Amino acid sequence: MTALAKKRSSVRLDLVKLLLAIIFILLCLLPLARMLFFIDKETLTKVVSSESFGKSVLNTLLVGVTATAISVTLALLLSFSLQRTKVRGKSAFSMIFCLPMLIPSISIGWGMVILFGTNGVLTRLFSLENSIYGFWGIVIGSVIYAFPVAFLMLNDVLKYEDGLPYEAAEVLGFSKWRRTCAITIPYLKRPLISAIFATFTMIVTDYGVPLVLGGKFKTMPVLLYENVTGSLDFAAGSVIGVFLLVPAVVAFLFDLFSKSKGNTSFVPKPMPINKDKIRDAAAYLLCGAVALASLIFAASFLFLAIVKKYPRDLSVTFDNFVRTFELGGSEYLVNSLIIALCTSVLGVVVAFITAYFTARVSSKTSRFLHLMSITSLAIPGMVLGLSYSLTFNKTPIYGTIAILILVNTMHFFASPYLMAYNSMSKMNENLENVGETIGVSRWRIIKDVILPQSRSTLIEAFAYFFVNCMMTISAVSILTNTSTKPISLMINQFEAHMAIECAAVVSLLILVINLLMKGTVLFCQKRFFDRKPNNTP
Amino acid sequence: MEDKILTVEHVCKYFDSQTALDDVSFDINRGEFLSILGPSGCGKTTMLRILIGLLASDSGKIIKDGEDITNAPASKRGMGIVFQNYALFENMSVLENVRYALKINKETRAGSAEKAKDMLQRVGLGEYIKKKPYELSGGQQQRVAIARTLVLNPDIILFDEPMSALDVATRLSLRKELKKIQREFGTTMIYITHDQEEAFALSDRIMVMEESRLSQIDTPENIIKNPANDYVKSFVIDNLRQKIDSLAKYASVDGGAEA
Repeated sequence: MTALAKKRSSVRLDLVKLLLAIIFILLCLLPLARMLFFIDKETLTKVVSSESFGKSVLNTLLVGVTATAISVTLALLLSFSLQRTKVRGKSAFSMIFCLPMLIPSISIGWGMVILFGTNGVLTRLFSLENSIYGFWGIVIGSVIYAFPVAFLMLNDVLKYEDGLPYEAAEVLGFSKWRRTCAITIPYLKRPLISAIFATFTMIVTDYGVPLVLGGKFKTMPVLLYENVTGSLDFAAGSVIGVFLLVPAVVAFLFDLFSKSKGNTSFVPKPMPINKDKIRDAAAYLLCGAVALASLIFAASFLFLAIVKKYPRDLSVTFDNFVRTFELGGSEYLVNSLIIALCTSVLGVVVAFITAYFTARVSSKTSRFLHLMSITSLAIPGMVLGLSYSLTFNKTPIYGTIAILILVNTMHFFASPYLMAYNSMSKMNENLENVGETIGVSRWRIIKDVILPQSRSTLIEAFAYFFVNCMMTISAVSILTNTSTKPISLMINQFEAHMAIECAAVVSLLILVINLLMKGTVLFCQKRFFDRKPNNTP
Repeated sequence: MEDKILTVEHVCKYFDSQTALDDVSFDINRGEFLSILGPSGCGKTTMLRILIGLLASDSGKIIKDGEDITNAPASKRGMGIVFQNYALFENMSVLENVRYALKINKETRAGSAEKAKDMLQRVGLGEYIKKKPYELSGGQQQRVAIARTLVLNPDIILFDEPMSALDVATRLSLRKELKKIQREFGTTMIYITHDQEEAFALSDRIMVMEESRLSQIDTPENIIKNPANDYVKSFVIDNLRQKIDSLAKYASVDGGAEA
């Protein structure tokens, strides 16, 4: 390729990157700007000075701080229990801990009601008297909702901690306490802060748990939800949305500026784990208790789904499934599946293309496109939904499934994009150069080499989009109507009609579908993509 | 009479305000093994990328077999390259890796599998054709990368520090293999390295580079006998001497023990 041809090709690639960046600006930042400009001074003053707003801010902060503290502590204890003891069944425990990540947060709220409500299964079984409604109910529900995310982050960090500094410290005669202060705490500091930010943001921007368990104890997302879907007061909703942006933006900026620049291909030395029966017994006890709680939670949906009328008639029946489908469940399930499948396909395609340009076509525009691609991390789902509603309300896609697919793609885009970006960054940097020297075009190398090598990551990304679309209740709740409604939003509708058995059926369906998707991905990863290096000389 | 296959004339390259190559000129004979030796950042990889056509020079000429190839596409220069870490296609088998370029091109598609198998046989990998690259050792992966290049019958093969990630024992055995392959195929080879010992063990001539400039190009013997300047003396000769002194010290310790 001549110098001129090289320059032309580089300009063309830069143009594609710019085009992608513009798409992200149009679908992410522009709607957000629209929401900000929707706020006038009068509404701002009115909302901010109202008693309900002040209370909701305080409630949100109280719940956020308490539930984050408990979630991160629990996640840290569980991660240590799995990674620093001789506990067996680590993968099984990890999977069970993550079960709540497969159901909508609103289901977690209703799971709490099924188990601990006034007529709850465990309330009746153990004659419990405390009410789960209000502050502590939201805190417990939020912990169940958010701790798996903190657990996944911290468990991974501890799993890949290098054992070498600990061996060196032992040789130098460091006490256990000194080793913790000198090695573990500095190593954990940044991931721990990241986990705290992520968990806090998740909790304070969720409306599912507080909507079910809050009662009069209202948090900001509930206030936003009520303002927008109840009173159709979009201006007030926008004001609350701006406040909800703050923690998400802070978390995003922290992650952006504190990213480790360490060697990603570094292979750590396994951590030495000494024998300690008491420590292991304690770890078994903690992991067992949390796993049991997660399983009871999932089982509660099954129980309620197959009893005739809880708590009056506990005879086993499948009538609830029939009733759920008769009440529109089948159409809403089809809606959900269409949204999830289309979002997954669209999301994976866009994530792959974008990640290719940022990871493998380096230039000054790459960094800008990378930043635009992860911006959605800083926008809570409810806020994104509200901004879309204000921006696209006069366009043909408003009120159709297309807008739900679009908003979900943007809402969940950053994580799958980062998966693809990391995967492609790790591939040999000269693959395209090899192609150029043997007369094979860049596009052919993408098709024959890059794409096949990314299959495992793309399947994982597909599952991420799918699972999240099946359970999301945030952005879609503002943009949906009766004909496009996804099944996750039926949970609240059924509860409102006192059909809690049907709500349980819906939660169970979402859980089973998501488990099937996760299981299929796991099977594919093990069966088709498991590498077994053979270092024969 | 010397048979020049490649001539590089006054090549310059700048990255923003930094000079990567400053008026570099040299030539290479057919069947010769030339090493480009220098520390990190001296411009040797930039030179290699300009030679193969992955990077355009800002000025100067590259002439191969009398033809100006300065602006020719990389695939039309009759050169092949073995990259650092080899850049093998991990999703393809060893055979598919070697066959890939032949299969893509309509003119070479017929009989491509046989040609690739034959080439793998010649580099001693006949029994590994169905394996994936990650199932091979570092040395075997290097041979796949060389076979992938050789199968296209290049006049010149360029090597971009291919052994820098390998352990000492593997490097020693691969040096022998590389020389064997060169003798068998008679291909001209240009080898980038920062390792003085490797350059002296492999090369017919060595080109020493210093901060974007060519310091000296000559046979290993002449570089030792007549270093062009203090830099060559210090970077090449003093470094080699240090290694020899260390070896001699250990040899005398062993000798003492035996005595």
